[in-house]
Amino acid sequence: MTMAVTSPNGTHALHNALRVAGWIGLGLIAVAVSLSDFLANAPANATAIGPFLASPSPEFRFGTDILGRDLLSETLHALDATVRSALPATAVTLLAGALLGFVAARLPRSLARTVRGLVGILASLPALLLAVLVIGLSTRDWAAVAAGLSAAPFTFVRAFDRARLEERATHSEYARATGISGTTLLRRDLVYEFRDTILSSAARALAAVTLILSTLSFLGFGAVPPHRDLGLMIAAARPYFLHAWWMAAFPAAALVLLILCARLAAGLDEGERA
Amino acid sequence: MSEPRPILEVKDLGVSRGSTIELERLSFRLDGGETLVLLGDENSGKDVLLRVLGSYLQRGDELSGTIKLGEGPALPAAKRAKIGLRIVYLAAAAEAPLNPHASVLAQLSRAIARRTGSPRTSAREELRIALERFPDAPTLAALNQRPGALGAKDLSWALLAAAMAQTPDLLIADHAFGDLTPRSIRSIVGALMAEQKRLGFALLYAARGLKAAARLDSRVIVLRQGKVIEEGSFTRLASGQSHAYTRTLFKALPKPLAAPPARNATREPLLQVQGLDLIGAKKNAPRSRDGITFELRRGASLALIGEDGSGRRELVRALLGLDRVAGGRVVLDQVDMSILSAPMTSRMRRRIAFITGADDALDPRMTLWDTVDEPLRAHLRLPRDMVAGHRETALKRVGLASHDGRRAVATLSPFDKRRLQVARAIVSAPFLAVIDEPLRGLDAFAQSILTELLEDFRRQEGPAFLVITADVGVAQVLAEDAMFFKDHKVVERGALRDILRNPRDEETRELIEASAPPVRDRGSVDLPQVSTYNVPQRTAVPE
Repeated sequence: MTMAVTSPNGTHALHNALRVAGWIGLGLIAVAVSLSDFLANAPANATAIGPFLASPSPEFRFGTDILGRDLLSETLHALDATVRSALPATAVTLLAGALLGFVAARLPRSLARTVRGLVGILASLPALLLAVLVIGLSTRDWAAVAAGLSAAPFTFVRAFDRARLEERATHSEYARATGISGTTLLRRDLVYEFRDTILSSAARALAAVTLILSTLSFLGFGAVPPHRDLGLMIAAARPYFLHAWWMAAFPAAALVLLILCARLAAGLDEGERA
Repeated sequence: MSEPRPILEVKDLGVSRGSTIELERLSFRLDGGETLVLLGDENSGKDVLLRVLGSYLQRGDELSGTIKLGEGPALPAAKRAKIGLRIVYLAAAAEAPLNPHASVLAQLSRAIARRTGSPRTSAREELRIALERFPDAPTLAALNQRPGALGAKDLSWALLAAAMAQTPDLLIADHAFGDLTPRSIRSIVGALMAEQKRLGFALLYAARGLKAAARLDSRVIVLRQGKVIEEGSFTRLASGQSHAYTRTLFKALPKPLAAPPARNATREPLLQVQGLDLIGAKKNAPRSRDGITFELRRGASLALIGEDGSGRRELVRALLGLDRVAGGRVVLDQVDMSILSAPMTSRMRRRIAFITGADDALDPRMTLWDTVDEPLRAHLRLPRDMVAGHRETALKRVGLASHDGRRAVATLSPFDKRRLQVARAIVSAPFLAVIDEPLRGLDAFAQSILTELLEDFRRQEGPAFLVITADVGVAQVLAEDAMFFKDHKVVERGALRDILRNPRDEETRELIEASAPPVRDRGSVDLPQVSTYNVPQRTAVPE
């Protein structure tokens, strides 16, 4: 035979396996979050549970912090807080990004181009900067919305470009040639494209907003004590990085695990760009 | 005379996967200089044979029988001895295993070099020499672009040249030219046969359709569901003295001049075109100086016949208001399209249906049911039960009622997609149906069924047909009148039957000759009883 056909099946199988692994990881995190009160040894912010700055041991698996709080319990509560603020932020990203992106692509061409250009400029700015700007214009209570809005431009651009591709597709041209209106074509996008990509879009948005929310908290723009999320826990551990590494390492590991699972669930290619 | 050189001998070859028999006791022998056509649909087993010959066995394949290559011993089919026989695979342009992002020239040179064990520069030179032997083939420089930038015809020439540059002993062609226009098939198959005479290779051609097989005019094995239905010369099988299944397959061949299909056209005009000046999609496209003027009555059928790029599709796009025109007037259903706003033009198009050979004409994400429902929901806003009733009726008529309605279009076969287009057209109750190369890419069986469906659609719903095709045989089945196009101009028009009898223009004559299967002049044996046009000699034809 003259030419060998290279099959992408192996790569697809790997991507699918990683995607499934990501969703399983997210599922386990969801279970841990929903059972956090049950799994934790102590309520959130309960001090003097053990000795101060005790290193990980069979009694305190993640060690304790400077106030004697059990870090395993604190990490679980902080993970719960992080996920609870990330979920509405994800919804904001999907609504303001994916949904509006699909709709904007069906606007008259010049208007659509203008909107795409403006949102493209926003997407090129650091999302964190946008989030800080939104919080500056409102309050810290709006951190979740700010994170959602700051991640939205990137999602908007992706959805817009996909919808434009669909609009230029042969099947759309044939549909227009038989009198199918733009509204019906938009419905197709919403029903099929949005439905088929909603899970991966949500996972990608979850990874992005989690990172933004945690960074906001780390910088002091997000969660307010005594409600601690993972970013705030890591920020609180800053003075002890060198001699009490466990104070930052376990919350950071939980954060990395959450983002990694979300990125894998979104698909490796998508996750890399999220 | 010297003894023919044995190339391939397959004996009692059987392939099964679990309880499924994919190929059953297939035996044939192929000598150097011989051609064998394997004719059948997607599941006929010819693809399985190619897989076995190419040693692309799949897990679970159980093989029996023997294969003998060249002068080597007959070995069990699962084994393959290393022999000095050069087997070359020739794919269709659309299915060629080429990287879409790399230059065709680089890829073909690399393949030739690897296959012949020669340096890349020598391989390139071999390719150039092979291309120069074919007058209609593109130049070597023209191949220095991505596969997508080359047309199907040029890519087919390039693939053929690459195959010939490897000086094969056995050429396995997998539906290699079936999707080209009749004129391209005639020219490329002619070149292939000349090369076969020169190099003496054996040719195994797996055919879905009949156009290329008719040109090869050789021994044919008809396969169905892994079984050999019958074997014989093409002309004998085409004569009608054959198995019922074979006769169904050969229905797709162009028929001799026959009475045109029943007309239900009225005197009332549906489409009136006056002095339409086409502007091609490209900026430098040639313009029609005189403009195109014609009229299509309700229920009538007009074929727009010409090669790709001759202006037929530009005309249809202009008629439907999809592209601007420099001048002229289009009146559709007694409404001047030029004075309508964009939304009103779109509204007018609701009673127009498209049935095309493009497999991406339907949204691949939609389900089978949604595809049929959409025109009813979007245009008529019918209640759900009425929509379901119309859908069921349409799907039954095209034979898709037993399919799972929630299946995505992307998972359907090309034949099912084509039938789904007909179902969608049926529920639209159109006054005009644009039928654009409807049989492209289908196997002979599917072509016969689809042709019947289209005829039934026209008979029952009574839309006017605008048939875009390069195949006069297709036009003959679906239309009574025709306009022949060349370079964005109409070179001949009139009743198709009259044009077939007495073509006045050279382009028309070429297209008719290319569409008609060749008449054998090798004596009186096996002359085809059907499938020849009454094409006049190439002498001056009186007005």
